[in-house]
Formats: sequence, structure tokens, C-alpha cells
Amino acid sequence: MTSPRSAFLPGLSASLPIIMGYFPIAFSFGVAATRAGFTPLEAVALSLIIYAGASQFLALALLSSGAPVLVSAFTLIAMNLRHVLYGPALMREAGREAGTRHAWAWAWGLTDEVFGQALGALARGQRFSEPYMFGLGLGAYVAWVLGTVVGAFAGGGALDQWPALSAGLGFMLPALFLSLLLSILSRRQLPVIAVAALATVAGTLAISSTSGILLGMVAGAITGLVRK
Amino acid sequence: MNWELLTVAVMTGFANWAFRALPVIARADRIAAGGWLERFLSATGPAAIGTLFIASILPALVPEVVKLLPLAMGTMAVLAIWFTRRSVVLATLVGALVHGLTVWLML
Repeated sequence: MTSPRSAFLPGLSASLPIIMGYFPIAFSFGVAATRAGFTPLEAVALSLIIYAGASQFLALALLSSGAPVLVSAFTLIAMNLRHVLYGPALMREAGREAGTRHAWAWAWGLTDEVFGQALGALARGQRFSEPYMFGLGLGAYVAWVLGTVVGAFAGGGALDQWPALSAGLGFMLPALFLSLLLSILSRRQLPVIAVAALATVAGTLAISSTSGILLGMVAGAITGLVRK
Repeated sequence: MNWELLTVAVMTGFANWAFRALPVIARADRIAAGGWLERFLSATGPAAIGTLFIASILPALVPEVVKLLPLAMGTMAVLAIWFTRRSVVLATLVGALVHGLTVWLML
């Protein structure tokens, strides 16, 4: 995130692993949406307007089962509550002088993966810039919407012909998270990460994957309170 | 267009935007500066990345050693590239490539 004006393209290129990870997931979403009886336009609208993977898959289940509008909306909103923590955590690392003039636009793209990639860049010594955030977020968003478009129009079976490719693309996000974890790893952060990992496993096994993620993040962050 | 779907999408999308953008616009980190909330926020990033990594590999952890091989190979590739090249992008791409190749060899 070096010189602000020229940072858009580096941001875009930093989104490459996210693009390759998002496209097949969004593709699967497009396929699932049309199989659930929604039109391709409706599938794309969900990706454009909601832009949150797990919520969108749950939206298909809720809407196709006839759940009331308010119940569906509040369930989906609750799933993304963790995103409240991303902005402040990122800006704390960015520093007090970091600009937020255009945050109303780039912060829309602050998904799990974009947050992780941006935080990793700051941890490696890059300077925060809004054009970098635009580039990073735009690549990911376009891949998500395009993946949905292709999935909704191509239908299922396209990736079934290429199981190894499908598996490799499926490993893109775990590989990205592991790389990011390595990039921020330090002795000081170990207790936070260990507690977060244990709480995630426990929450996922005991309740659900969404609860596991929220519990992991909160438990890890609380560990940060007790350390020196 | 299904209007119920559109209503749910707009409500959820607006909330997502608010969750992501408003704390940045309000510079909630400055409000928290110097106190317990700052320590909480500084630990949030590592906690979130650790959580997301575990959550992303949990579904692939099955009690069959052979099925774990692509995951193990991909993970080792990420570790090897990271410790030799220190590049997040390269480590991610090579990890995914090795994972896919392992699946292909096992077909």
C-alpha cells in the first residue's frame, strides 16, 4: 500500500488469490440458485446486493422454504455481525493519519478475505491507501458477481468434468488464509490464534459453522485483552 | 423479479454495508485508542484470520488418511513457499496447484 495514486493496480493484483477462490464458490452459488428455482437475474441480484457467501446460500434455503421476509432478513444480517470488527481492526493497523474519505465505497468490499489480505499487507510493512483498498475490493467483487453470472447461466456440471481443477480451486481460500496467517504470525500473537482456533472448532462442532466463526473471533480477541 | 427476494436482499445488503463501512467512517479505532477496546481490536485481526483458516479446513478433515493427502500436500506447499519466498500470492497459488495435482494423481 505504498504511494496512494499508484496503489490501485497493486491492490488489484493482490486480489488474484481471492479472485481465484471466489469465482468457483460464486459459480456454485449461481448453480444452486437456479436449481432452487430462482432466475439467473435473481441469483445475480443476490450476489450484487448482499455480497456475502454464506448468507447467500442460507438466503436460498430461507426464501425457497417460504420463511417470512423479516425473519429471513434478520437471520442473514446476524450472520454477518462479525464484519463490524473488521473496519476498526484494519484502521487501527493503518494508523491515525490513514484517509477514510472514500470508505463509504471501498469498505463495501471488506469481506473476510479482503480484510485478511489488507491486514497482511499492513503487517508486511505496506502503507495504507484507499486506492489499494479499491483495487483489492474491486477484483474480489467482480469475481464474485461474474462467478454467479457464469454459474447461473451455465448450470451445474461444468466443473464436474474437471474434478482436480475443482478441488484445486476449492483449496484456494484455505491456502490464502494459511498464507495470511503465516504472514502475521508472531510469538505475541500465538495465544490469540490458538484460543481462536480452539473456540472455532468447539463452536462449529457444538452449534454451527457460523457460530464457530463468531465464537473463534471473539474468544481470540478477548485473549488479547488479558495478555501484556 | 421476486419482490420478497429483493426486499430481503436490500435489507441484508444495507446491513452488510453498514457493518463494513460505518465503523471505518466513524474511525471507531480512534474512539477505542488507549483502552481495553484497543487491545481487543489489535487482537481481532489475528483471531479472525486464525478462525477463518480453521473454519475453511474443518469440512475437509475426514477420518480417512488417503482423503487427507491433498490437504496435507497443499498445506506443505503453502508452508514451503511461504518460508522460502515470503509471498502470500505465490504461496496461495502454488498450494492450490499442488492440492489440485494431488487430487488428479489420485483419480
